[in-house]
Amino acid sequence: MIELHRVIGSLQQQRVEFSLDTTDLCFLVTLNIKGQNESLSCFEEDLLYEVFGQVCETTEPDAQNVRKRATHALQRLRAQRLLSRVDGSGLVRAGDYTLTPLAEAIVQFFLQDEKLTRESLAALTGALRSLLAEVLVRTQSARTADQWQQHVLEPLRNSVRDLVSGIDRRQRGMDAQQEEVQAQISELLQRDWFLAIDHCEELLESTSTTLRELNEILLRDLGHLQAQLTEIESLASDAEQVDSVTAALSLGEHVDRVRAWGTSRQHVWSEYYQFVQRYLRDVVRLDPERALSQRLRDQIKEHVHSPYALIVAEASLLRVLREESDEVIRPPVCRPRQVRERAPEATFADRRREEMDTAVDRALAEGVPSLHALLSRLLPEISPSERFAWTGRITARAARSALRSSEHDCPFVPIDGDAGFCGNPESVLAVQGLKLSPRRP
Amino acid sequence: MTSEHPYHSLADALCDPLFPDVDVALRQGRHIHRGETERYAFLSDANDHLERWYKKYGCDLVRTADGYFYLLPQQDKVRRRQLSLAEMLIGKVLALLYLEPATLQRGSIVDRALVFQSLATLVGQEHLMLRLNPRKKRRDERTEQEQVRKELKQALLSLCELGFCERLDEESIRLHPPVLRFAESVRTAGDPGEALRDLIRAGKAAHVDPDDTQESAEVGEEPDSSQAQEGVE
Repeated sequence: MIELHRVIGSLQQQRVEFSLDTTDLCFLVTLNIKGQNESLSCFEEDLLYEVFGQVCETTEPDAQNVRKRATHALQRLRAQRLLSRVDGSGLVRAGDYTLTPLAEAIVQFFLQDEKLTRESLAALTGALRSLLAEVLVRTQSARTADQWQQHVLEPLRNSVRDLVSGIDRRQRGMDAQQEEVQAQISELLQRDWFLAIDHCEELLESTSTTLRELNEILLRDLGHLQAQLTEIESLASDAEQVDSVTAALSLGEHVDRVRAWGTSRQHVWSEYYQFVQRYLRDVVRLDPERALSQRLRDQIKEHVHSPYALIVAEASLLRVLREESDEVIRPPVCRPRQVRERAPEATFADRRREEMDTAVDRALAEGVPSLHALLSRLLPEISPSERFAWTGRITARAARSALRSSEHDCPFVPIDGDAGFCGNPESVLAVQGLKLSPRRP
Repeated sequence: MTSEHPYHSLADALCDPLFPDVDVALRQGRHIHRGETERYAFLSDANDHLERWYKKYGCDLVRTADGYFYLLPQQDKVRRRQLSLAEMLIGKVLALLYLEPATLQRGSIVDRALVFQSLATLVGQEHLMLRLNPRKKRRDERTEQEQVRKELKQALLSLCELGFCERLDEESIRLHPPVLRFAESVRTAGDPGEALRDLIRAGKAAHVDPDDTQESAEVGEEPDSSQAQEGVE
């Protein structure tokens, strides 16, 4: 397998390039034809100078120093590997030269630009049909691998392929011919306008007729060729001749391409034909003096100063409701809601405040004389850690339910006994020694 | 439809599966030419019935000798608009190129660059900038050129939608016979002014006051294309 990047790198490193002008090309073509006509295997140096001079007379009649130009041309062609010296005598004597395969290929390309005619195509397809018929007969009688190789594979790979390529090549010639006709029609109209109509129509008709006939041949014969190739492929497949199967398939594809070319060209030409016919009828015949273009050109120049506008319809598009679609509705990204409210838990009711209030009221009713006495009486029932808080609550209750009797601030008096301790052993509760008297109901 | 009278009645024509497409296209200002084989054949066959049909909407179904149909609203039952200045200029250049034998050689295909180049040559770059980008305060030249190019491209696209031409790729455009509508006022060798007045009388064209663009230039409004489009409404 060819490694493309390596090939490209190598070509880039060698700085390979080609530069051929028309004289060089004509020189190569002349050498090739002269070689064939006179059966020359190589060309002497003098002959090269002579041929170059003849070519130069045609291509560049005014050229000066033809011999010097020939020297440069030979040097250029050798540097480009189109011409090679084959005698190996070096400085001893003038050399003999030959065209390289590269030069031969270039020359062949230009010589093979043959036109596709009904005759050439009919001849080619006829030869192909007869050759394939022969191959088919031999396929049916082939028994050994050698027979398959010699009677089937080689004809398919060489002769048949050459003939199909011949059709292909001539098709390219036909493409070029069509382009030439299009350019010719354009040039005729450019030059003669109204007077060119007849000539244009003739050109159109003749090309159309040729194309139609060619397609008829292609459609008729290529179908037959395809059938023959299919049969050969089938027989080769039964005989397990893989190479022959591949060759037949490859040729079948080639034939298909040829047929597709014919159809597509017919279509393209048909469009062009109709367009030119319309053009000749609507434009050229209606404007024999070719004054319309000029009038239009003048109007374009004037349009910005005296504008007008064409009117066109502009209805808004019909509103078409969108069809229901099976669109997947994705749920929004979220997390489950947190339950912030907790259910109430069963617990014992704390009624100590009410009980304490009742105890304070009872003590006051019984005539407890002071806050100090009240606290001393009630605090022992409360745990030491809560006594400080309860002292405040008892005092507040006492203040609501009793009247302070002393006029002046009383000094703080520590609560006696165990009731004065409130958790911390170093702290003892102390209250003002206020006198209490119950409020009137 | 190959028979002589494929549609015996209007109902037959309206029942044709092609009718909805053709109807919508015509109402949107599309020009239907011979190249659109099926639609053109339908319009040709149903022409008599459809002419009467569109009359009810105050429209003329126009059939031209160049081989295309279009709908021409004469009243306001079907919306209509005037082509903008950019569309008119591009359309006229396309018509000119359509007449060139060089375009014939390429099967009526032209390059967009050639269209713009021809327009700039005929009208002049300065004129184009002034008319298509009318602002009192001149901005950077490059920006203005960009703006004009944008407007011209938009006009070309709009003409493609109207069936005057067809966009083949980013650069190539195929011209269609309706583009000759832009040459209608100079089709005959007579006075172009009189021909234009005929077109205006027939409701096919409308006169545009050249000062409109100047006024908008002075107040720094958008180019006249939008104005032109609103003109008839």
